[in-house]
Formats: sequence, C-alpha cells, structure tokens
Amino acid sequence: MPIEIPTLNIAALTPFLAVTVTAFVVMFFELFVNDKRILGYLSLLGLAVAAISSVMLLGVSPAPAFQEMAISDGYALVLNLIFIVTAALSILISLSYLGDRALQRGEYYALLLFSTGGMMLMGAATDLIVVFMGLEIMSIALYVLAAFNRRKMGSGEAGMKYFILGAFASAFFLYGVALVYGATGSTNLSAIGNWFTSGGGDLTDPIALVGLSLLLVGFAFKIAAVPFQWWTPDVYQGAPTSVTAFMSVGAKAAGFAALVRLLMVSFGQAFTLDWQIAVAALAVVTMTGGNIAALAQKDIKRMLAFSSIAHAGYILVGVVPGTIDGVQAVLFYLMGYAFMNIGAFAVVAVLEHRVAISSAIEEYAGLAARKPLLAAAMLLFMVSLTGLPPFVGFWGKLYVFRAAVEANMSWLAVVGVINSAISAFYYLGVVVQMYMRPAAATEDGEEVVPISLSGPVTITLAVAVIITVILGIWPTPLVNLTSLAVFG
Amino acid sequence: MPFDPSQIPIVQIVFFVMTACAIGGAIGVVSSPNLFHSALYLVLSLFGVAGYYVLLSAGFLAVVQLMVYVGAIAILILFAIMFARRLMGQGENQNNQQWWLSLPIVMILFAVLVGVVNTVSWPVSGAEPTGDTVMELGHAFLGSYLIPFEVVSILLSVALIGGIFLAREKVEAEEA
Amino acid sequence: MMPIPLSWWLTVSAALFSIGVYGALSRKNAIGILMGIELVLNAVNINLVAFWRYIAPTDISGQVFAIIVITVAAAEAAVGLAIIIALYRRRQTAVVDDLDLLKN
Repeated sequence: MPIEIPTLNIAALTPFLAVTVTAFVVMFFELFVNDKRILGYLSLLGLAVAAISSVMLLGVSPAPAFQEMAISDGYALVLNLIFIVTAALSILISLSYLGDRALQRGEYYALLLFSTGGMMLMGAATDLIVVFMGLEIMSIALYVLAAFNRRKMGSGEAGMKYFILGAFASAFFLYGVALVYGATGSTNLSAIGNWFTSGGGDLTDPIALVGLSLLLVGFAFKIAAVPFQWWTPDVYQGAPTSVTAFMSVGAKAAGFAALVRLLMVSFGQAFTLDWQIAVAALAVVTMTGGNIAALAQKDIKRMLAFSSIAHAGYILVGVVPGTIDGVQAVLFYLMGYAFMNIGAFAVVAVLEHRVAISSAIEEYAGLAARKPLLAAAMLLFMVSLTGLPPFVGFWGKLYVFRAAVEANMSWLAVVGVINSAISAFYYLGVVVQMYMRPAAATEDGEEVVPISLSGPVTITLAVAVIITVILGIWPTPLVNLTSLAVFG
Repeated sequence: MPFDPSQIPIVQIVFFVMTACAIGGAIGVVSSPNLFHSALYLVLSLFGVAGYYVLLSAGFLAVVQLMVYVGAIAILILFAIMFARRLMGQGENQNNQQWWLSLPIVMILFAVLVGVVNTVSWPVSGAEPTGDTVMELGHAFLGSYLIPFEVVSILLSVALIGGIFLAREKVEAEEA
Repeated sequence: MMPIPLSWWLTVSAALFSIGVYGALSRKNAIGILMGIELVLNAVNINLVAFWRYIAPTDISGQVFAIIVITVAAAEAAVGLAIIIALYRRRQTAVVDDLDLLKN
C-alpha cells in the first residue's frame, strides 16, 4: 500500500498555526524571562500575526485544507477575527489584573492562546472529529484558566464546576456524533448533508432526532443556553475576571461557530423545515430565563453571567431563520458583544484589583463622583448591552431581530424586544448605583482608596469605548466585514 | 443429537461474559459506597470493553484500551483516591440528594435509546475489514487524519501544561 | 454472517451510557462523577467501533475516532484530577455539594 501524500494546504490554517506556535514560544521564554508581562506582549504579537493572515486569506478563494477536515472560508476567517479581538482585549486586561506577582505567569498566556487556537479550529472545522478536537483544546485550557488563581478558593471551585459540566457535555456531544456517524457512515459535515439531501433519511427519522438532540445538548452547554446554563454564574464569579471576560465571549462564539456550521451545512434545508421550532424554543427560554435570573443578582459578575445567558438567547434568534443573513447578523452581534462585554468586565477588573473591593453591585455606589471617566465607560457599556442606540449593541439586536422578521418569525423578534426591555432594569440598576447613590465607605472615617486608571487595561477600556461608539454611529464597516462571511 | 463442538456459540458466550464484566462493573462503579471499590469496578468494566473490541476485530484498539484506559486513566484515578484518603468515604453515603430523581430520568433515557437503535434499519454491509487494520490506521493517521493526529499533540501539551501548573505543591500565601 | 447482531452492541452501549449518566448525576464526589463520565465515553467508543465493523468496515475512520476519544479522555482526566487534587489540598473535600463559596 503506497503512502498517499495528503493535500495539506497549510496556508489555510495560518491563523491557527500562528496562535499555537506563539503559545509554544511563550512557554519557552517562560524559562528565561523574569517579568512575565513581556510574555503577554509576545502573545499580542502572535495574535496580530494571526489577524493579519486572516485578513489576507479573506482575499483568497476558500480552499479546503487537510483532506476536507477544515476550511478557511469567509465564515471561518471572520470568526477568527472575533476570537482574536476577544483574546487580545482579555490579554490586555490580564496584564493589569494579574498584577506583577505570582499570577503573572507564562502558562496563563500560553493557555489563553491555545484556547484561542481551539476556537479557531471549531470555526474552521468541516468534520465532526475536528470540531470535537477544537472543542476539547478550548475547554481543557479554559478549565485550567478558570482554576488559575490558586490563592483564591473560589477560583478552584469555578474550575472544578466548569470541568465536571464541560466533560459531561462533551460526552453527550460525542454520543450524538457516534449515532450520526452510524446513521450516515461519515463524520464529514458535507457528507452528512449529502446523506440527508439524497434521501438517506430526513430529520424526523429517529436516529437524526436523537443524534442531533444530543449534539444540541452538547452545544447548549457551551453557549450556556437554558436549561443547560447552571454552571455559568458560579464559574463566571469564581474565575479570575480576565478569564471570565475571555470565556464569556470566546467560548460562546466558538460554540455558535460550530453549531451554525453544523446546522447550515449538514442539516441545511431539513433544519429549516423540522428543527426551526426547537431552536426557536431554546432561544425564547434562554432569553427569558437569563434575564429574569439576572434581575435578582447582587454581584456584578453573576449579573453579567446571567445577562450573557440572555445574550446567547438573542444570538440564537439569529440562528433560527437558517439564512445567510441570519448568520451574518449573528457574527455582527458577536463582534459587537466582544467589545461591549469585555469592556464591562474590564471595568469590573479595574475596580476589583485597584480598590480591592468585592464585585458586589452596591460597591459601585458613588463611582461617578470618584471616577467619572470609569463610570461613564461603564454607563456606555450598560446602555449598549441593553441594546439602546446609538451604540453597537443596538445594531446587533436590530440585525438579529430583522433576520427573524424576514423569515416570518416576527413573534420571536417581539419576544426579543420585550426581553431587552426587561434587561434594562438590571443594566440601568448599575448606572443608578454609580450616579445616584452616595459612596458608602467614607462615613466611618475610612480612607477612600484612590482608583488609579493606568496600564494596559486602560487600552482595553479605550478600545472598547471607541469601537462601541463608532460602530454605533457608523456600523457599515462591520456590516461589510460580516458580509464576507459565507460558507465555502 | 450428537455433541458437535462447532455448534457451541462460542462468540456469543464470550460476548455475554464480556457484557457481564462491562455492565456489571459499570453498575458497581455507580453504586459502590466506597470510592476505591468504584475505581476497581471501573477497571473491570474497562476490561470488558476491551474484550468487546477483540470480538469486533479491532485488536489494536483493544490494546490501546488496556494501555491507556486501564493502564493510565484508571490507575490515575486510583492514585488520586489514595492521595486524598478522605475521598474513599468508607461507610459514607456517596450519593447526592437528587439521586432518586436521576434514576427515572436515566431509565427513560435508556428506554428511548434502546427503542431508537432497535427500530432504525442500519445500513449493515456484510463486508469484512480488508487487510491489516493496524497498517490502515497508520496510513489514516498520517494521511486523511493528519490534522486530528497533529492537533491531538497540541491537546496533550495543553493538558500537560495545565496539569503540572495546577497540581504543583507550592501555593503562595492565601488571599481568601 | 456475523454471530452477533449490531443491535446487541448498540443496546449494550446504550446501557453503559445510561449507567454512566446516572453515575454523573447521582454522585456527590467529583471523582465519582468523573468515573461516570468515563463510562459514557466507553459507550461512545463501543458505538463507534461497532458502526465501523458493521457499516463501514473498509473505511477505518470509526477506529480513528475511537482512538482520538481515548486520547482526549486521558487528557481530560489528567486535567480534571489535577483540579480536584488542587482543590482537595485547600478544602479537604471533593464533594461538589460542599463547594458553596460561589453563591449570592
């Protein structure tokens, strides 16, 4: 048997390789470098290379790489940019948040890069084996990152809860893959699609029903959709804030990346006929459940965790129509969400670290008087997350809901708008604390700790504010970018 | 009827013995009140599954199962339990409060799965595996499955870095 | 003709899957839950190998997938146990219900 030289097309995976190689380089220099923050900047450099190569590949016609295992089509490349933005902003937060002591380590940056690589793989995968591998690289790195702060009990607890539920979800996902493989004889996404279109079976036949349900359960865990969301608040609260920022956007985007490609490429037509209603139901319970739970939260990280569940619901609204417009709306939403949500977490990180306050929402009382700029930034992120104009969050919701309306599912858009109104209560609750409540700590002669805004986290804040505003006023560039996201 | 050795359904008998190991072991894993015993039952169950692979003419996989699963994963779990002695929990109830709730859920799950796998008409082909499966596996890993094969090494690096970082002894001063 | 029908394998796999899920849902100790998850992964592999043998014996991909699943399971178990051990050192417990720092 002669050895067939496989068609590699390594160029198609340059962004993934850039990120992964940088991670190994970071681990290597960890041995020699004393100030580990240099490794953070090194990681940013690797991400920049990945970003440049992604943009360059956007001009090249998509080519399947590695024997139909992955592809660098517009969809994968736009997702790459979302992951890179998420990782870069999180690294900038980390450079400040982790301080200069024990937590500032090369392993942290390496794992964050590996995790980003796993996300890219999920976006580019055209075979369920590669989807699974990407999922695992991302998740295993995130388990460790969640537990990274070994001096804090809550961090270990977060890591363990995330690990147990994540491993459980992966096992469900795999059982679904195995059943789909049995029914269709393949794990390749287009081959599965061909099996459905060539009348091998429709989506109402029992094996597709059970197999796809198990796959959906696995993805629902990763994107934190109700009723598979219970891990979210505990993990988000316990993990280091810089990690929470990273996974609240990155892991969600990666879950959607693989889910959307699976639904569009493999299940295509059959999805819109038979499965739309199931995903629509998932969207409704996710939006509503996340928002109602968020209303009762007293800790800002938990509040943002529940609100991120609600956002997963809004994004699912864009998935339901099963149209390319819907997919592009989803990508627009994710990119906007990356800036505004990580921006909000950056504010949390600044306060948590510089002032050593807890993340309870009451602690934000009087912030506007003490630190007007920081409070203004938080105000902006909260308004944008609510979905009010003129910020990027508004356009994200508009596009997602419009896709639902165009697919004759106006009721879904109506549910989404009602939910946005509910979310205003808790987002603006933070604003009320900051602007209308006096600071509590001063009365018993306690010294007010100065909040100093400095270091790399300010760059995150500045970038997040600027992009949130600019894309809010002028969303065209991002619309143009996401319109390049087509399946190859 | 004269005794005919070739009439003994040897494969079926082996199948049932292996099933007794795999399923019996699995029930032991989830029901034993002692975590250490659970881990030993896990080894039994994994042996049963390795036997299945032999019956399915996937000999290489059976060896991998024994080496990686029994030899590495199960032993690692045993070490972890022995390291943390209080985890053994002799005489302690190992179930959480919702265990009675999960029992009917799992029963329904099982009924659905069995119903599905027995109603679907699987496209069974009568073909036999061609050639040497070990060689085929090698070709697959360096051919069509090159990317998963390479990516597995990245995955293992991630696990290595993360595992070493977390399990190191030295923990710096506490900060509630 | 194969002496054992495919549905036997699938039934055994479904049983192992259900037992594993039960273990993961009912155990209160993290290592107990992890063992339940390992059972589920074994059920997956029985399915994959049986499908390979009965449906596509000339295409090795089922076995390839099974080997990858085993490898990933090993990596997952290593990291999971590291997390559990690290936590045990601090808290002297691996009982999930005892972990209640992260509540409102």
